[in-house]
This record gives sequence, C-alpha cells and structure tokens, in this order.
Amino acid sequence: MVGLVNAEPPENPGEYKNVLIFLETRQGKLAKPGLEMISVGSAIAHKVNEELIGIVMGNKIENLVQEAGEHGCDRVIGLKSKDLEDFRTIPYSVNLSELIAEFKPNILLIPATRNGRDLASRIAVRSKTGVTADCTELDIDPAERILQARRPTYGESTLAEILCKRHRPQMATARPGIFSVPERDPRRKFVSEIRKTTIKKEFLKKEIVGFKPRSTLDLTSAKIIVSGGLGLGKPNGFKLLEELAGEIGASIGASRPTVDMGWIERDHQVGQTGQSVRPDIYIACGISGKAQHIMGMRLSKNIVSINTDAGAELNSISDYIINEDLYKVIPELVQAIKRRKSGENKPAETPA
Amino acid sequence: MTLEIVVMIKQVPDSQEVVIDPVTFTLNRSAARNVINPADENAIEAALRIKDREKDVHITVITMGPPFAESALLDAMARGVDDAILVSDRAFAGADTYPTGLTLAATITKMGKFDIIFAGEESTDSSTGHVGPGVAEFLGIEQASYTSNTWIEDGFVYAERELEDGIETVRMKPPCLITVLTNSNIPRNPTLRMKIDSFRKGIKTWSLADIELKPEWVGLKGSPTVVKSMRTINEKKREGKKFKAGEMDKFVEELVSKGILKL
Repeated sequence: MVGLVNAEPPENPGEYKNVLIFLETRQGKLAKPGLEMISVGSAIAHKVNEELIGIVMGNKIENLVQEAGEHGCDRVIGLKSKDLEDFRTIPYSVNLSELIAEFKPNILLIPATRNGRDLASRIAVRSKTGVTADCTELDIDPAERILQARRPTYGESTLAEILCKRHRPQMATARPGIFSVPERDPRRKFVSEIRKTTIKKEFLKKEIVGFKPRSTLDLTSAKIIVSGGLGLGKPNGFKLLEELAGEIGASIGASRPTVDMGWIERDHQVGQTGQSVRPDIYIACGISGKAQHIMGMRLSKNIVSINTDAGAELNSISDYIINEDLYKVIPELVQAIKRRKSGENKPAETPA
Repeated sequence: MTLEIVVMIKQVPDSQEVVIDPVTFTLNRSAARNVINPADENAIEAALRIKDREKDVHITVITMGPPFAESALLDAMARGVDDAILVSDRAFAGADTYPTGLTLAATITKMGKFDIIFAGEESTDSSTGHVGPGVAEFLGIEQASYTSNTWIEDGFVYAERELEDGIETVRMKPPCLITVLTNSNIPRNPTLRMKIDSFRKGIKTWSLADIELKPEWVGLKGSPTVVKSMRTINEKKREGKKFKAGEMDKFVEELVSKGILKL
C-alpha cells in the first residue's frame, strides 16, 4: 500500500535501464498477448543497446522460462511459487514491484488483457509512475530514451502520443493482436534464472474458488471473417453466417451487443473490448458500426457491409456495400460461391 | 452494522450520440448529451442489487468532475442510491489516471468506513480501466476486476470475473473493490418519486481543501503522463462499391479476380 501520495519521479531517471515485460500465463501456459510483448519490447531495447528482460510467474515454469528465451528475451526471470500458479492481483503486483525495485527498468510493458490491465493499474500506483493504456504503436526516442506510447483515442479516429518524461519505469499496456510473436528458435542465446519465492499470507486473502474455462477462438490471425450484428435479428442468424463461413473457410465474428444478448460466445467478439482483427476480408452482416466495433476491425484489408440500413456507419469504411436484407443476400452469395467453385460461373476469358 | 458501499462514477458524452464523421473519420461529440458512463450504470445496479438482498446497506455515489456532473449523481440517487458527493475543483482539471485515482481514494478515506467500492470496468471516453484498480492500490485493498456478478455470503464478497479464457469466481473479505463489466446487468430506471426525493436531498460538494491533498498532487500537475501530440489516423480510402442481392455472381467474380477471395 502506497498511501495517499503523489506520483514521485526518481532523482536520477538515467539510472533506469532496460525493458521489462510481463509474460502473462493462462492455465499454465504462456499466453499469446504476453509473447507479443517480445517483438515490440526487444525492438525498443535493442534500439538503445539495452536488454529485454522477461518476467514469468507461476508454479511449473521451467519450460515457460525456456520458451520465453527461445522467443527472444535476452534475459528471463522466473518467479516460482505454488501461490503464483494463478494470477491474483496482490501477490503478482507485490512481486512484480519488487523486481522493478531491483532491476530499475526504464520501460515496463504489459499486455492489455483483462489480467494485464488489472496488474498494470496497480503497478503504476505502487511505482508512483504513469501508464499509457492499450497502445497500438510503441517506440523509443533514442536520445532521451523516452517511450513514445501511442494509443487510438476518440473511437480510433486519432492516435495520441503519450510520454512519461520524469517518472520511472515508463509503463504501457499493449493491445493484443497488434504486435507479432517472434519465431521460436532453440538456438537463441539468453540468460535465465528461476527464483523460488514464498508469498506472505496477508497477500493471499483473495481466493479463487472456481474457474469455468470456455473455448477460446483466436480471430487475430484469421484470414477471412464473417461477422454478425444485431441486424441478424435473432440468435440463430449465426447459423446462416456459419453456412457462408463454411464455403469460404472463414471464422465467425460478432459485435458486442450480440454477445451481450447471449446469441454467441464472447470469444467471437470483435471490437474495443473484444479482439482486434485484420483479416484479408471482413464480411459484416447486419452490423451498424458503432465506434467500439469499428476500432477492432478497421484495419481489415477489405471490408464488405451487408445491411438494409443505407446509413449504417460501417458503410463509410466499406469497400463493398450490399444494401439489402442479409437473409436474401447471404443465400444468394452462398449459391454464387458454389457455382464459381464448380465452374458453372466461369466468365469468358478477358484480356489482362 | 451498516454495510457501506461506495460507487465511483464518471459523466461522459453519450456514446450513442457520438457519431463518426464519414469524411474526416473524427468523432463528432458536440451534439452528445452527458450521461453516466455505461459501465458505471452497471456498477450502480450491482450495488443496488446488494442493497435489495441484504439488510442495512448504505450506498454513496461519488464522482470527480465539473459542477455539471451533479446531474449524473442525481440520476444515481433517483435509482436508489442514498447519498452523493461531487468532488470538484479547478485544480483537478487535466488529471491522468494517477491523480484521478488519488483524488477518489482521498475522498473515500475522508468519508470514513467503507466495505465495498464499485466502479465500471472503464469509461467510454478514455477507455483505460486503470482508475478503479488504482484506487484499490491507494487504499491497500483487494480487488476483483471485469466482473459480471457479485454477491455476499457468510461475510465474504464473491465475484465472477470474465476473463478471455473463462469465468473465475473469487472470494474476498471486505473491504474490497469491484469493477463491473458493461452490460453485465440491466440498470433500473430512475423513478419520478425518487427523482423528487433526490432533488430535495441534494448532493454534497467537496473541494480540494476538503480531501486534504496538495494542489501539486492533483490534476495536470500531478499527472506523470503528458499527451505530446495527436494525429488523425490515415484511413485507407474505401470505395464503397455497391452490389445488389441479385448480382452475387458478379460480386464473387470481382472478389476472386482481385485476389481478395481464393476459392
């Protein structure tokens, strides 16, 4: 507990060196959003000839430490305790804070997942520093070693660059699905250390008394997404989308309202509070295009909007617009695809 | 003994009325009314549901904001919240998440005893989700973020956290802080009777002096981060080419010939 005190900059920020990243685990495995911190973290660290230090916490972490190193951390610190097996705010924040005090990193990156944001909020206060949430671009000014943390704001219309000039570490959380996971290479050289630790009882007052896993769908690497919104009108509207998706090998996406109404599982949700996707083609069916949805799909290479509402906001960012009832359009589209596949619909050769 | 609940809320421009300008791709919020941040409405509802079920519950709603944020507090009282405090001072302007959390934590400390603090998962206008957990750190208490359900049983607070890979149920002793997911419940409407009562009762307004923080600790001066620049994100030019339902063969051909769709 820091008490009611202000954010205090250190006397000598120049002492703070290297980039620390938090490698989130889920059910005993390194989660993808944490591994994504390796590519962006090492680019920043190496630009100023510093190290990328990965932090792994958990119980059985030997393989995870190895994996983090093979993906590109220069140094990996594993904190091992049975009380760190599952993420819990206080034991994780207390231990990460101790590592920050020891390593004095210039920069700390944490994935902007739910547990990542939960942790980052508390670490920023404990470390009396600033944190920029949900960044999509991260770079460093090599002269001053100031982190340039950029995040979309005002419904993705604007990219704000936010600096934390005097306080250390300079913290940011990074939006999942934006940065890539570097290839794993068993020949990569790195330094690692596993430390056994014990957690004080007073930090373990919150107990996890249940966990219901659910299927997880990774839409961030999907090439084709067929996505549904409230315009489907009913839960089994997604059945029709599945038919189309089956024909073209697409994954199913969804707008937040359809998820909130229980029409489809949450792991299909695209948008600010769901997954950020950038497929080759995004087919939006009955999606009006609230800012929160557009934020998660506007980087798609091609966008198709099927919607009866000609004024749907999504149309303004679409490459193709089909302004008719999706229950009429999609069966026609499925038939057209089938015909094209079977060669019935091969047009006459046209000169290139 | 009374169970003291605090709900932290924020007034934001109504995102239903904020539209994206199709030409400049910027948000036009000039027309938008100010409302309670959507997730905070769910936080108020989560607190009221505890009050519905348990005996002797007292709820105070607090916000840091300009004087006109009073309307958000009165709205909360008209739904069944007992008391409201507006923490308002010119010194608070321009605060990032650190001094915002500090200001709210100082307000709660000044209020005295508390058992559960509720907040929305994040605000629609800044979307960081950092203020709620930050307050828990300032106060040194347990927290459960991103919850869809909270209840009290045998003196413990239970909460269901919706994570990317599943739903986690946690158990804590108060005092603790809970952040509530948008749309995790259906917020009740204010009633006319309670609207009248809330106007009669009124809210309390506290300034910087009341919460005993130094002026340089709050607002812009107390913020570790600065916004260096803003640039418009360059939108890819999108043609918006139109097809009819009866032209699906032509449409498929277009996608295939351009290499967008491989069959």
